[in-house]
Amino acid sequence: MSDRKNTAQADLTLGEVLRKRGISRRSFLKFCAATASMMAMPPSMVPAIAAALEKARRPSVIWLSFQECTGCTESLTRSHSTTIESLIFDHISLDYHHTLQAAAGTHAEAARIASMEENFGKYLLIVDGSIPMGNPGYSTIAGVSNHDMLMETAKGAAAVIAVGTCAAYGGIPHADPNPTGAVSVGDLIKDKPIINVPGCPPIPVVITGVLTHFLTFGELPELDHIGRPMAFYGKSIHDRCYRRPFYDKGLFAETFDDEGAKKGWCLYKLGCKGPTTYNACATTKWNDGTSFPIEAGHPCLGCSEPDFWDGGGFYKALSMPTENITQNIIYAAAGAAAAGVAVGALNRAKKSKAQATHQKVKLEDLNK
Amino acid sequence: MSASLEKGIHALKEQVDSTVAAFFSSCVHCGMCADACLFYTETGEPERMPINKVEPLRRIWKSEYTLLGRIGKLFGLTKKVDDKLLTEWETLVYDSCTLCGRCSMVCPVGNDIALMIRKTREGMAVAGHAPEGLIGATTRAITIGSPMGVKLPALQAQIRHVEESTGKTIPVDVEGAEYMLLLSSMEIMNFPEFIEAVSKIFDRAGVSWTISTEAFEATNSGIQIGVSDLAAELVQRIVDAAEKLKVKTVISPECGHAYMAIRWEGPNLVGKPFSFKVRHILEVLNELREQGKLEISSRETQKLTYHDPCQISRRGGVINEPRSLLDMVADNFVEMPDTGKMNWCCGAGGGVSSNERADEIRLKVFQRKKEQLDAIKPDAIVSACSNCRLNLEDALEEYNMDIPLLSLTEMLADHLAD
Repeated sequence: MSDRKNTAQADLTLGEVLRKRGISRRSFLKFCAATASMMAMPPSMVPAIAAALEKARRPSVIWLSFQECTGCTESLTRSHSTTIESLIFDHISLDYHHTLQAAAGTHAEAARIASMEENFGKYLLIVDGSIPMGNPGYSTIAGVSNHDMLMETAKGAAAVIAVGTCAAYGGIPHADPNPTGAVSVGDLIKDKPIINVPGCPPIPVVITGVLTHFLTFGELPELDHIGRPMAFYGKSIHDRCYRRPFYDKGLFAETFDDEGAKKGWCLYKLGCKGPTTYNACATTKWNDGTSFPIEAGHPCLGCSEPDFWDGGGFYKALSMPTENITQNIIYAAAGAAAAGVAVGALNRAKKSKAQATHQKVKLEDLNK
Repeated sequence: MSASLEKGIHALKEQVDSTVAAFFSSCVHCGMCADACLFYTETGEPERMPINKVEPLRRIWKSEYTLLGRIGKLFGLTKKVDDKLLTEWETLVYDSCTLCGRCSMVCPVGNDIALMIRKTREGMAVAGHAPEGLIGATTRAITIGSPMGVKLPALQAQIRHVEESTGKTIPVDVEGAEYMLLLSSMEIMNFPEFIEAVSKIFDRAGVSWTISTEAFEATNSGIQIGVSDLAAELVQRIVDAAEKLKVKTVISPECGHAYMAIRWEGPNLVGKPFSFKVRHILEVLNELREQGKLEISSRETQKLTYHDPCQISRRGGVINEPRSLLDMVADNFVEMPDTGKMNWCCGAGGGVSSNERADEIRLKVFQRKKEQLDAIKPDAIVSACSNCRLNLEDALEEYNMDIPLLSLTEMLADHLAD
């Protein structure tokens, strides 16, 4: 009985589902238009998107979480009020997702296997988190290592979406010294189309945009040289930043509490990574379009770029060399490291000396 | 009498280890510890915020173990630790801190501020800046064996009274017993009902237990005053007695810091693992409950709440046990706001109760507890620490609040099935 009901639900098209949820045709078209403009498609595409979405069957989606913090899931499910994005997200057939699914244990794994078999070659695989290659035991699900589960599940996927910087480029687990030997999805899967949706976390609308594109055209959107959808990652934060005019005029905040900071001047000197970071934060913003880090007065960390964690200090201006440092600086760094070691040894010696000269405290030592 | 500033500075130098260095270098000066500390919230005086209390230790770390501090020291720019500073800090380090550890819970970078204050006391004590009350208590603990000066004959007299009242023998110095019960002086002198309660419960449950005449005192003033050498001596006495009687488990009684001293600091102080286990009395009682050996024939109907002793709940982890036990015996149990590991201290732990100079501030900061109690208006308060109990009774009287204090162990004994 319940099976039949589920099947009936699965057979509904997206258009039918949305209407059942009381979404008007007008707001649906508005969403299609917004998506089209966001993805830089001509207005003539709007009816095409609408028609395609109307007819789309719920695609089966399997979501695997590996070495991650669940921040990506949090980001993507935080759709403030019920929005069409969230409804579309609700009404894909999310067959397997550790955090969101009700099933647990063998039932959960059975759902994944069943979905893989039923939709072989058609389902979308979403991955968040990096994959540890150092020791399979670093991260396992139901006793299966992340690597094995990814390879098994990717076999029948139509495409793989790597959500978050960890899945896309290794992210924080991959940061030096990379203790788990973390690698990205793209490092392991070579025979499937992969879309990287990096960010720590990524913007929710980016993933719905990618899904919409997939539902509409049955293919992946145009990607940049590191696998990100051009529509969202085509321009740098800096190019779209509302503080850009201050940069052009040479007006910079020097500290977080100076006049410049209060007047909203450019945060470049405080370490803003906007010029080298490609993402849609400056235009789509966060929290239902409320704001984004620079608007809140903090420099961009560059979280959607590979190795953002190892790019030098977050508060070091970009003009300071953060990588490809010259030979001199290497010597200086080695010298500083040696000095550090020497200071450490000195400190240890001082402490050992203090401890070696410890005199047992007796009662009389408590009074002057 | 040989306390001196040099000894104090030397002791502080010994206390700076990689943990302390990491804590000081990671402090972001956010001030969140202030709002976690009842000595700050109830006085509003900024010098009483927790991280400020460790200033002497911080200065030593800065001037001896950091490059900038050392350069500064060469030019006389680095702030020094002198007697004036230590005199000023005495009332912050001893009178305005109960080592309750609530500040450590809220620190966003994970600094264990309570531990650093404990370490600062190591320097203060040998520099001659410990409060008189605590020096007295420590002296009595070392020379007589109890901070309150309780000697063996006093315990023996109480044991006789209890035996007369229950008609059951209390096992003393029994070799090979499973449990060795420790007692705090307060229990021997103020709450002998505790001994009676344990005797009744253990007798009913068929537990093999004993009290040692060589080490019955559970409290450890050495930890409160901050002298590890003396604290280790007190721990060693218990270790020797437990090894001599070949007991499997030592039970820490209803006393907060005694539990922390013997269970968590103990093996570190004596420098080797114990040959026996250490459990709090509530842990033992809860085990008996789980084994079905603790049967209750009647229940408490009045509205009860539980005051979490800091060293037992927050620093000790015994949070669920008292609640499981209360669940068994109480019909109307209500939690205070901020309960369990975030409970507010009674205001008298960490040596504050032995320090008469701190009486005024101790009673002032009780306002925090009062607010918690006002929010739920219980008929009685249950707790598991004699020190909390004495202080709560004292402060409730001061604030004209008529709420009786109950010991959880004693309450269970009262409702024990025949």
